Parts: sequence; C-alpha cells; structure tokens
Amino acid sequence: MIQNPYHNKTLQWLFYLVVFALLGAVPLISDDAFLLNQLAIYGVYGMLAVSISLCWGSGGILNMGQGIAFGLGAYCMAMTMQMQTQAEGTIPPFMLNNGLDALPWIWQPFQDTTTGIILALLIPTAFYLIFGGVMFTARVSGPFFAIMTLATLSAFATIFVDLQPYTNGVNGISPPGSLNLGETEIDPYSSGAYWFVFALLVACTVAAKLINQSRFGLIVRALKDDPERVRFLGYNVAIYETLVYALSGLIAAIAGCCFAVLTQYVSPAQFEVGFSISIVIWVALGGRNSLIWAMFGAFTVQGAQSYVGDQFLSTWILILGFSFILVVRFLPGGFAGLVETILGRAAKPEMGADTANLEFSDAKEVAK
Amino acid sequence: MIGGFFKIDNIEKSFGGNKVINGFSLDVAENTLQCLVGPNGAGKTTMIDLISGRQKPDAGKVYLNGDDITGWGEHEISRKGIGRKFQIPAVLKGLSVRENLEVAYSREVNALRNMFSMRARGCAEQLDEISRQVRLTKRLDVEAGLLSHGETQWLEIGMVLMQDPAILLLDEPVAGMTENEIGLTVDILNKLKRTHTIILVEHDMGFVRKIADVVTVLHMGALLAQGSIEDIEKDERVRAVYLGTEDTH
Repeated sequence: MIQNPYHNKTLQWLFYLVVFALLGAVPLISDDAFLLNQLAIYGVYGMLAVSISLCWGSGGILNMGQGIAFGLGAYCMAMTMQMQTQAEGTIPPFMLNNGLDALPWIWQPFQDTTTGIILALLIPTAFYLIFGGVMFTARVSGPFFAIMTLATLSAFATIFVDLQPYTNGVNGISPPGSLNLGETEIDPYSSGAYWFVFALLVACTVAAKLINQSRFGLIVRALKDDPERVRFLGYNVAIYETLVYALSGLIAAIAGCCFAVLTQYVSPAQFEVGFSISIVIWVALGGRNSLIWAMFGAFTVQGAQSYVGDQFLSTWILILGFSFILVVRFLPGGFAGLVETILGRAAKPEMGADTANLEFSDAKEVAK
Repeated sequence: MIGGFFKIDNIEKSFGGNKVINGFSLDVAENTLQCLVGPNGAGKTTMIDLISGRQKPDAGKVYLNGDDITGWGEHEISRKGIGRKFQIPAVLKGLSVRENLEVAYSREVNALRNMFSMRARGCAEQLDEISRQVRLTKRLDVEAGLLSHGETQWLEIGMVLMQDPAILLLDEPVAGMTENEIGLTVDILNKLKRTHTIILVEHDMGFVRKIADVVTVLHMGALLAQGSIEDIEKDERVRAVYLGTEDTH
C-alpha cells in the first residue's frame, strides 16, 4: 500500500530539519540588524502559532485567549529587565509619578533575574493549570470554553490598565536596557538575539511534535473526536485536556518572554482580544493540525501585514478577514490540508503505474 | 457482607419525576453471559448507563468484587474493570483503525507517564491478535469514519477486547449486522465468556438463544423474570409483556 508522503514520519522530521536549517542560516546571509530583529519577532509569532496548534489542532480546544499566557510572560520578563537596570534601592520612575515611594511586594521577586525568569514561565502555566482544571472538570468545552478564554483575556487587559501604579497602565513598561543573562547581554538587534529566539522556537516545536507522537498525544487526539468514549476507556479526560492546555500556555509564555526581550516594551496591547484572535487566524490559514504549517501561517500573515498591509492601511483587516472566510469554506485544513491533498494525488499515479506493471508482468508470465 | 462478583442492589433512577428504573436488583456470577432483554423503554440502556457511571443512581448500590462503585466517575469504573460498547457504535472517527485500538489498550492511563512513552508495552501483539479476531487486519490504516456499519461494530468490539475488562457491557452488539457477521459474533462471545463476564442488552431473541447463560427480563424498570432461555420463553408474564406484543413470528 502506498502511503501519502505527508503522513510519513521520517519525511516529516526531514522537512523540519530543512526548514529549521534554513531559518537558522538567516543571520549568515544578512546582518541587517533591523531585519534580524523583525524576523526574530516573527519567530515569537511562530511559537504562538505552535502553541495554538498544539491545543486547538491536536486537542480540539479552541483557545481565543492565548494572550493571557503571552502577556503574563511578557510582563514578568519586562519587570525583570526593568529591575536589572534599577540601582540598588531605587524604584522605576513611573512608580514615583504614580505616588509610590517603595517597591511594591509584587515587584520584589523580580529583583533577582533567575527568579524573575522562573516566575515568567511559572505564573502563566500555573494560571492555565488552575483555569483549565476548573473548566475541564466541569466539562466546559467547544465554543463555551473559547468564550470563557476570551472573557478572561479581556479581564486581564482591564486589570493591567487599572493597576496603573504597578503596571504603568496603558503606557506599559519599557525597560531602558536589554536583558543580561549572567555576563552576556542579549542585544535585541543582533544575530545573537535571533539565534536565541530561534533555538527556543525549535525547542518548542520539536517538544510539541514529540508530545503529539507520544501516547499522550494519541489520547489527546482521541478525546478531540469523542471525549465521552475516551472516558469509558479509563482515561481521566479533564487531566489530559488541562495538561495540553497548560503546555500550550507554557509555550506562549516563552514567546511572551522573547517578545519582551526583543521589543524592550510591554503594554496591555499584548492582552488585546484582536491579537489573540489573529493567532487563531494564522493557525487556521496555515493548518491547525500541523505545527510547522501553523508556524508558516503566522509567518505568512504577519509578513504580508508588514510588507503589503501597510499599503492597504485599514483595508488590510478586511483582506485578512476575507481570506479567513475563504480558507474556512474551501480549505478547512489550511495550507497544510492543501499540501496533504497534492502529495496524496502525486503518490497515487505511482500506485496506478505499479499495478499496471504487475498486470503486464503477469501477462508475460502467461505468454511464456 | 456483600457476596458475589458483581451485584446490583435495589437501584432506582428517575428522569423528571418519571421512574425509569424502579428497584432493580441483579446478581451476576463470574464468567457467565447474562442477557438483559425487555420491550422498548424497559430501561435496558439506562441500566447500562447506571452501571458504567454515565448516570448516577438516585438510590441503590452497585458492587464489583465487594467494592461499592456507586457514583464513581466513568473513567474510575472503567479502570476497575468494566468496559462498555455503545448502542450506536462509538468509535473515534478521525483516527485510523489502528489508533482506535491503540487508544483502547488503556493499561497505562497516567497522563504524565504517557507523555514520555511512544508506544505501550504489549500493545502490538494484542493488536495483531484482536484485529485478526474482528477481521480488520487489512483495514488498520483506514480512517475509522470511513468504515461500513458492520466494520464499525467490529471495531468497537475490538476496542472493548483491547481494553480487556473483567466485565463487558455490550449494548445491542449485533444491530445492523448480516447473518454471517452475527454468526461470527456468536463464536467470539462464546469463546469470550469462558474468561470474561458479559452483560448484554439485546432485542433479538434468536441471538439471545444462541449465547445466553442467564436471561433477565426487564419491564417498566423492574425485574420481571430471570432464568434460562427455556424458562423465560415458557413464562406467561414474559409472553404477555414482551413476546406477545413484540415477537409476532
């Protein structure tokens, strides 16, 4: 039986290798600092797409509030970077403007870089574990879960604007220096920063793919089909759903950290509903069932937005919306689905040729 | 002291004030095939739902091996050793036949441990054996959603076999099967009941006659009669409520 090359695991890993080798080689070709910084930010978007593909594509959990983990990660990282630049005993200037005279307790742990980074990953993941745990044990799923994530995301946006003395409200936090890891400074406009983000993108994607291929991944795909059936096979569905949701949150938190490092800026815009929904659109366009194609979806849409979108100004959002409708209607599997079909067709004629050969040789046998 | 292997004690369930199960009790011996029959609306599927944890009883108890499993979650009851096949075949349509059987091989249910395991130990041999039994060896790579109705029934039977529970709850396993396929099911069930306990819901008395050790007749949510198939067929009350009205040939 001829298999569609799209489903061949060895070929899939080979494809990953080629794609990541090409992406990793970019700084060798160009040393344009601005371009490298922009491409590294695309890497962040790629991570977000991978995270949504993991929970929505594999587990069928539509998450329209991925900005929660992304924003929390970014804020924690920005706070860490801000504290790195503060002299002993001083507090960030915006706090003085907001009438604080001592560092609030919530900022204290971020004085230490290691603790800060750990918290940047731990806080979002722990929140996802609790939020997911509460929702999934109550068997909230599908559109209802999506709406809950959306509502929670809006709540976060409001809270971060309202807590002006601690978050600098709508202005956000812009640490004056770049992140220092021990002795090394990560200059956001450098090939070093690009490779830093790239390595994390590779790690997240490969980890997500390994999870998809494990028994855990198999059961997650099964519960996307029919959670009830999976429950009767003895699996605690809520635990599986919570874990896959929290893992996707962890990846989004890593993306958030990278975003803060690259832009040296974080604001409630990271919690914007529109941004989280656009992550879902990238993934739908690229193909939610494939991690790497979801990532391509993010590159395509964000790339088009930067280079073409500027000419269309506000019409761009209409173009994006229209292409989303087209994909949902005609390409439910996104680009990945299209590639799958084409490769499947390409493999089929071979099969026809094989059987034709077989018949021919049979005929020869008979003739003898 | 709760004796016996599997025991249902005076169970009750109402839906919106309507008593569907009304004080039903049942004792099932190990390695027997017990058929649950009764006219439409007698509460057969509700009974299966109550045993497997999909519904919680209002009163009464369910015991397995002396443990009270009343009110447990579906996955806990399943782990305790009760497997279920649904009335409308429930397979995982988006997964291949092979993947369906792999998921059903639920020896390890811990999510974290499964994250670090690529394949379950012993699964491949079991899968070989069972796919042969249910005649799906050549269909392993087909998406389950593309199977015919008969094949879907087989796949779900295969899934329950992969799960290898102490008690199998089968809800109308031969619905929509051809004579030939029913014959094959009879063979499998007769072999299986030597090592497993089976509770089977069925309409078709012809099929029940071929496999049942004990037949229990359910009427209006309560036990009407119980015994061997010969006793049941002679029973006047059963003829009145069930055979008289339903079985006209």
